[in-house]
Amino acid sequence: MNITRRRYFGGAMKSQEKFLNRMAAEGHRLVKTGKLTYEFAPCTPGQYEYRVEYIGHLSRENAEDYVSFLRDCGYQVFYKNINVDWNVGKVEYRPWAQKGGRLAANETTLHRELLIVEKEKDGKPFELHTDPADRVQYRKALLRPWLYALACALALSALFAVRFRSVPWAVAAVLALLGLLWILWRIGKET
Amino acid sequence: MRDNGKGGALTEVTFFVLLALHEPRHGYAVMRFIEEKTGGRLLLGAGTLYGAITALEEKGWIARRGESEDRKKQFVITAAGREIAQRELSRLRELTNTAEAIIGGEKP
Repeated sequence: MNITRRRYFGGAMKSQEKFLNRMAAEGHRLVKTGKLTYEFAPCTPGQYEYRVEYIGHLSRENAEDYVSFLRDCGYQVFYKNINVDWNVGKVEYRPWAQKGGRLAANETTLHRELLIVEKEKDGKPFELHTDPADRVQYRKALLRPWLYALACALALSALFAVRFRSVPWAVAAVLALLGLLWILWRIGKET
Repeated sequence: MRDNGKGGALTEVTFFVLLALHEPRHGYAVMRFIEEKTGGRLLLGAGTLYGAITALEEKGWIARRGESEDRKKQFVITAAGREIAQRELSRLRELTNTAEAIIGGEKP
């Protein structure tokens, strides 16, 4: 009998991956994902393993092409959301995304920012990114949204700190600046 | 993945993908080909292989070629890709000849 688990991991991909692999180790294979739910069917314990990948920076065409490529490689693939807002017709601007993916809508990768990739265990390591240069590209794609989010946080908190002569907003601006510098350092280190 | 197409020196992944696609293959078949030819030393992740394939497609070194019997997308090397692979082979021959002349007689 299928079971459903309610969980919300947001952008914590490693935690989501651990949860799915723990379920698989206990004999539950993922069959369906909802915004806050995961539906599992019984399977042999340890038969499957999972990886979670961020694709929010891809255009719709590239995301679909990648999913089709993964399915051709024999993997089962599920889309998963990062945010949990329910809406229709929303458009989100993602300046960090590649051309064609900067305006994310319900029809593209909005609420489908993650992929859950399932592989039947065959004794070989299961990693989606194995080449060092490719890993660097992927890590940069993960860092870029933080770069823009922190830049916006810095601009807003600095504006409020000056406008209202507020110490808490000034502290927030300093924290955003430190975060921004840390992300820039990480991106620079990857280059 | 950085390749120097003009002066040779392809990455190992690029060269193996070009070799694998001397006959039409889908992604999984390319992975298996590389694994088999390297005796399991080079295990490519699907994400890495997809990145390599799309980069080579953009360069015009490989192209899509319909679907296999089991409806999987296939890729094949182009004339430009063959020329690049041939050039890389010549470069590697030259390199091994030089190495052979210098250290070939030495016992490890």
